[in-house]
Amino acid sequence: MLTYVIRRVLYSIPVLFAASFLIFSFVALASDPLQFLRMQPRVDQTTIQKIIVREHLEEPIPVRYVYWIKEATTNKFGSTLIGDRPIWPDLSRVMKNTAQLVIAAELLAILLAVFIGVYSAVRQYSAFDYSFTTFSFLGLATPVFWLALMLQVLVVNIFLNYDIRIFYVSNLSSTDPDNFLLDRIQHLALPVIVIAVASVAQYSRYMRAAMLEVINSDYVRTARAKGLNERTVVMKHAFRNALIPLATVVALNLGGVLGGAVVTETVFSLDGMGLYFIRNLVEGDPYPVMAWLMITSVMIVFFNLVADIVYGYLDPRVRYD
Amino acid sequence: MRKRSFWLALAALAAVVTMTAGGATAGSPQGALKPAAAGGTVILGADQEPKILNPFLTDGNLYWLSVIVGQVFEGSYELNNDGDYVKEMITDAAVTSNPFTVTYKLKPGLKWSDGTAITSKDYVSTLTTIMNKNWDITSRAGYEEIQRVQTPNALTARVVFKKPFAAWKDLFGALIPAHKVKGQNFNNTWANSIDISSGPFKFERWQKGSQLVLSKNTNYKSGQQAKINQVVFRFIPDTNTQFQAMRGGEVDMIAPQPQLQIADIKKQAGIKVQSGPEFAWEHLDIQLGNKGHLALRQPYVRQALVTGINRGQIAEALYKEIAPGLPVLRNAIFKPFEKSKYQAHAWQPFGFSQKKAISLLRAKGCTGGPATPSSKNTDIYSCPGVGKLSFRFFSTAGNQLRSLAFQIMQKQLKSVGIELVNRFRTGVFSVLPTGDWDLFLFTWIGSPDPSGSVEIHKCKGDQNYNAYCNNKVTKLLDASQNEVDPTKRVALMNEADKLMAKDLPTLPLFARPGFLISKSSVGNVLKNPTSEGPTWNSELWTVAK
Repeated sequence: MLTYVIRRVLYSIPVLFAASFLIFSFVALASDPLQFLRMQPRVDQTTIQKIIVREHLEEPIPVRYVYWIKEATTNKFGSTLIGDRPIWPDLSRVMKNTAQLVIAAELLAILLAVFIGVYSAVRQYSAFDYSFTTFSFLGLATPVFWLALMLQVLVVNIFLNYDIRIFYVSNLSSTDPDNFLLDRIQHLALPVIVIAVASVAQYSRYMRAAMLEVINSDYVRTARAKGLNERTVVMKHAFRNALIPLATVVALNLGGVLGGAVVTETVFSLDGMGLYFIRNLVEGDPYPVMAWLMITSVMIVFFNLVADIVYGYLDPRVRYD
Repeated sequence: MRKRSFWLALAALAAVVTMTAGGATAGSPQGALKPAAAGGTVILGADQEPKILNPFLTDGNLYWLSVIVGQVFEGSYELNNDGDYVKEMITDAAVTSNPFTVTYKLKPGLKWSDGTAITSKDYVSTLTTIMNKNWDITSRAGYEEIQRVQTPNALTARVVFKKPFAAWKDLFGALIPAHKVKGQNFNNTWANSIDISSGPFKFERWQKGSQLVLSKNTNYKSGQQAKINQVVFRFIPDTNTQFQAMRGGEVDMIAPQPQLQIADIKKQAGIKVQSGPEFAWEHLDIQLGNKGHLALRQPYVRQALVTGINRGQIAEALYKEIAPGLPVLRNAIFKPFEKSKYQAHAWQPFGFSQKKAISLLRAKGCTGGPATPSSKNTDIYSCPGVGKLSFRFFSTAGNQLRSLAFQIMQKQLKSVGIELVNRFRTGVFSVLPTGDWDLFLFTWIGSPDPSGSVEIHKCKGDQNYNAYCNNKVTKLLDASQNEVDPTKRVALMNEADKLMAKDLPTLPLFARPGFLISKSSVGNVLKNPTSEGPTWNSELWTVAK
């Protein structure tokens, strides 16, 4: 297993280099970090020239890429091109915020999806099954931004009509909250629901399909024939095997979502990875974009690896060399 | 055992949900917020978060930062809600000639928040800091014209210029404290906090990504002490969310860009909406450089283009709900509400006339287009030597009002055989300085001092992105920079505007209206049309309990 892990990590390194060079090139070609500065009336041209020389903005892209590599590896992703602000403090802050949001959303989604998937499979073609199949398709089809906006409007209308604040529609916390944890939950609830809806829809379908395959298999039929009660058959014999596809999907999804739920964070004005990425991309500063990319890439590679390891744990027939 | 743990887990989940729902609080619209302390707190929704807190550096060049630090750093003049310069920390500013000199007299007894006296030495430190080439200063405009600053006494600063400088009131708008910056690396000063203040508020804390808090400066002597205790800026970049936060009472005030949602929020009880024109003008720039369409370099094509656009209809369609009666702009430099300066010039010499637009094209041998205007027309004119009249139209994606303006113009011009091709995108302003566009719809944000227009319209000006060059216009604009007589200066600029109206390098549309939306419980909130922003008189705000 260790050899397998090391080999996977080593394979990832050239992939990361290639991805980083491509993204750096695209961002550097497509945007100008000085664009907003140039637009200011009476902006000082000496300052602009100084920044251009200091940050090597007129050098060829491969040369600029090398400067970035040097900064990223020796100085925690370096500093922004304009303003020379260290990148790591902002990036670590937004990572923590996104982690709170995503982990809460995924935990909620997994709990609900497992329950819905198992019950739907065990009670196939029941009213519950049909209802949650419909819900799943609705959840998959609903645009995230629309759901986010509708929830905001709903919550605000409840507040205006009944003077009851259930949840907040923006930011991560209030100005001076009495109870920090409760306040944080009230701020995160809506974005967690938005992310969880799509995830529940997806995961519950996987869970249901996997359960149906497993509970109709020979060994489960044998377990029933032996006289075991239905709950033992489902939870002890079928459930663990049905978890395998879901575990794989969740691990892969988690890697991507930790890069930031861009739309959700934008709508709810959450200071997370997604908003960080969009803001810096629009401003045309490649250094923070690259830092975001590297973190996201590492997480995707890591969670791909986790998916394989979990798969091997859940299915003892799988062995890695 | 397993059955019990399953039900225990379900019970725990139910408890969490109940706790969350039970956290719903009834009562005041502030919900879970702490009741306001004596004096109260006002929360503003800001759509941009600063990157640093130093407004002089390139990274601090952001509208919302100027709004925030405007209440922390004061200077010689501020702009009031009529767009007039009002003395802030000075009692007088005497102007003399030969050489052109402005002598500032500071109010006696002024102190920085740390108790240090504010003196004329702070004028010197402001100049030397800004002119220091080691620092990444955004703009040195005006300060480069200063020869020296003399300090005959602690309350007098005599600023001697190399030559007359018309926009002198814009200088020293925020003083830099001499005792704080001496020997310091200014590029690193006030990056994440500000440890000094000369205004009614001082910096308290900044939770990056969330909010910035200013608290009352008890050492403030230049004017009235603040009545409220705190001003909080909550960063909400998404406009729809800003409106929902305003409706839901999460913020007390927002200053959004013109949006159609304003019409709805106006109807909500307990909310006050102020609107009015600002020193910002929406306009359609026409590219005259090499990377633009060849046809646009022909005056008759530009005339046909502007004659085929009904600006009044656009203003009506965009703003009838939120700013009814918005007048069309007939001057690229001054706005209609600047009554003593505004002169209407013939930017649309034939008015709006689709028939005239077609006849202008046909008179020059253009073919392939409609003989008469028709809303069903699909034919596009081609003109001799310049090709098909199909123009790339750039503007900001995601802006409802701009999209609507484009759709209206596209339809109007299609009726006369001119095609507009949508090139709306995010980050569109990276395209503007390249000149690789044909038509560009955007807003210039200016100030009561019109000197910013000089670089936009003069030959090879720093903000002249459409490659317009008329030497007569340039001479007039350059002369205006050194004309200190306000009447003569306005005359020079209006003369330049009259000439530009003949050349048609741009089509002014309207002075963009600004909006300030606040809770009725916050008193003395007055909209300011300048870059001072909504906090210009925050020391007068009150919060009803």
